[in-house]
Amino acid sequence: MDKLLAIIKREYLQRVRSRMFVVWTILGPLMLVFFSVVPALVFGIKAGEPTRIAVVDETGKMFERVRAAIVDEEGLDKAEEATETNNPIKNINASPQERVKNASRNLGGSFIVEPYNLNGRSLEESERELNQQVLKHQLDGYLIIPRDVLTSGQISYHGRNTGDVVTMDQIHDRVATAIRTQIIAEANVPQKIFADVNRPLKMDSQRITEKGTERDTGAGFIMVLVVGFLIYLMLVTYGQVILGAVVEEKETRIAEVLFSSVRSFTLMMGKLIGVSLVALTQYGIWAIVFLLFALYGVGALAARGIPVALPHIAPSLIIYFIIFFLLGYFIYATIYALVGAMVTTTQEGGQVALPVIFLLMIGFYLSFAVMRSPDSSFGFWVSMIPFWAPITMMVRIVTGQPPFWEIALSILICIATVVLLIWLAARVYRIGMLMYGKRASIPEVIRWVRQP
Amino acid sequence: MMNDAPTLKLDRVTKRYDEFTAVNELSLSVRSGRIFGLLGPNGAGKTTTIRMIVNITAPDEGTVELFGKAMNSELQNRIGYLPEERGLYKKMRVGEQLRFFGALKGLTGRRAEEVIDRWLARVKLSDWKNRKADELSKGMQQKVQFIATVMHDPDLLILDEPFSGLDPKNVDLLEEIVLELKAAGKTIIFSTHMMANAERLCDDICLINRSRKVLDGSLREIKRSFGRNAVALRVEEGDTSVLQDSSLVAKLVHRSDEVEALLAADADVQELLRRLVAAGARVTKFELIEPSLHDIFITKVDETDGQASGDNQA
Repeated sequence: MDKLLAIIKREYLQRVRSRMFVVWTILGPLMLVFFSVVPALVFGIKAGEPTRIAVVDETGKMFERVRAAIVDEEGLDKAEEATETNNPIKNINASPQERVKNASRNLGGSFIVEPYNLNGRSLEESERELNQQVLKHQLDGYLIIPRDVLTSGQISYHGRNTGDVVTMDQIHDRVATAIRTQIIAEANVPQKIFADVNRPLKMDSQRITEKGTERDTGAGFIMVLVVGFLIYLMLVTYGQVILGAVVEEKETRIAEVLFSSVRSFTLMMGKLIGVSLVALTQYGIWAIVFLLFALYGVGALAARGIPVALPHIAPSLIIYFIIFFLLGYFIYATIYALVGAMVTTTQEGGQVALPVIFLLMIGFYLSFAVMRSPDSSFGFWVSMIPFWAPITMMVRIVTGQPPFWEIALSILICIATVVLLIWLAARVYRIGMLMYGKRASIPEVIRWVRQP
Repeated sequence: MMNDAPTLKLDRVTKRYDEFTAVNELSLSVRSGRIFGLLGPNGAGKTTTIRMIVNITAPDEGTVELFGKAMNSELQNRIGYLPEERGLYKKMRVGEQLRFFGALKGLTGRRAEEVIDRWLARVKLSDWKNRKADELSKGMQQKVQFIATVMHDPDLLILDEPFSGLDPKNVDLLEEIVLELKAAGKTIIFSTHMMANAERLCDDICLINRSRKVLDGSLREIKRSFGRNAVALRVEEGDTSVLQDSSLVAKLVHRSDEVEALLAADADVQELLRRLVAAGARVTKFELIEPSLHDIFITKVDETDGQASGDNQA
């Protein structure tokens, strides 16, 4: 036990005291902010001048509506936007495209819309003239609204930068609104009915459990994603570190000295725990920083009189979250340790370890299938396979009602897998060490394991 | 510690790797308070034998007994092992490394600190305690590794090529320490290719070749059994063709200012001297000497290699 502690202590202190650790601990949150905010900003900022658009209105009655829709859109649905951006769940679930769109709507570029009078000229002639203006940068583009637009639902945009998806989308959406209001207006439908038809539908989902019904805020599902994502993130950042820690004594040729003092299982266990504590320390620091910021944010909003509804999460869910996160992390961490035991240098290990991430990704994809039928036999079996259980079982707990024994069994299988993998890694390490300078093949590993 | 019960006893120990037998039915016993030389050419099975002694691998057959008990991981704390493959954590300070290695052997706290300081002073590395290992020269690193081996005051010390890469001054220093440890009653197993070192230090030896024991016993007795069958002689002038007579001299080795003549079987030393004088040679040195460990090593290894290849052909 003392020897185990000595190994854990060495692994932990050596890494926590290293300059790299300090730098990354500080840089990590900064980079997270950078990568989540900057792309949205970059997409959102329409650099330079407002977009100048000419409208060729063949109907002769649409221009004012189109102009108003394009220019004033921002003013029209401010209220709706405000609720949307305050809804973190919607934001988290949004696809990157939607997120960019949301961001751009907030920071969106402005438009200048001017009419273009045909004055009896033919459309071809006008297009030629407008094309000239566009090429001379007097205009950014022009819209042609044909006479039969209300029945054909067809307009066209001609411009220099049709690759600006965000702007194209905005123009399309806004003109569509203008056309819809025009149709309604011509049909003499009262404004009130129009507003009612256009009102987005909101659906509350009530989850029925043995403890009664509760409002499902979607927080549970987010937790599943967070478990999966955290395991993934930790492996990407610490998988190689574990591998390196296991290979270290082979590269520095200390292994033989160590084995004359400790059993290889103790060594492997110590390394795994030591490095994992480093990872948890770092993530713990980040979590605290994040929490402080969140609390500060909530406090600031509350001070301004804006109530923030914190998602309600059952305590049992938080416990499961911690258990499955740790299990998932350790299962994959031990796989990295096993790879480290098989190879002789860190570089070699990097290549062999690549498929490990794929194994985790499979669990991610399976979780979507499990989400739709959490209590099916498919769901059961998938949540009993240790490599996927931490994600799939979590999905079942959130979306279905797995009996407690199934959860317990899944946890036991995971723990057994971790212990077995450490034992295996220790064995492969010890026998592999006696043959320096050569990577172990899978058949060799199998033979070593069966050796007395 | 000086008693008759052997510190270490190997009984018909065999270790196989796949088809290859690394150690074959090896029996030996190491007496307490002696320096025991485990000798043999490369690939003879020395390292495998040592690994079984320190409980890194277990024998396939046979038993290893240490301090009268079957080998187990508890006993590891009473062994200090300096392997031939050795290194240090590059980025760790010397003091930290030693504290770590000490802790692995159950030596911690205040006592560890005292021991580390004492040993660093002994090998003249006190100023380097807070330096990182990769700032040290190879010889200094080796001395740190040596401290890691002996700091927990083990009863059995196993040194595999402890002097390789050291300059003569440091070789002398380590030899001195090894002899001090012996005087303090420690048992030392010493594995090397350097016969001169082995000859100077060892009380007992065991020679292994091709996985088997070829020879063992006290160095004194082994030498005696080989007999005084060599002559160191210096001849200033005159006819020395007598030395070419194969009925008298089996082998002739030229040293810097003298020759060593290994006598042929049944050859008479007096006869050789008489013939030299009769031939008019002016003999300034004629000394009957024991064969060196080096000669014994080569003779025995050649002999068993010959037998083995004979066996293979048969």
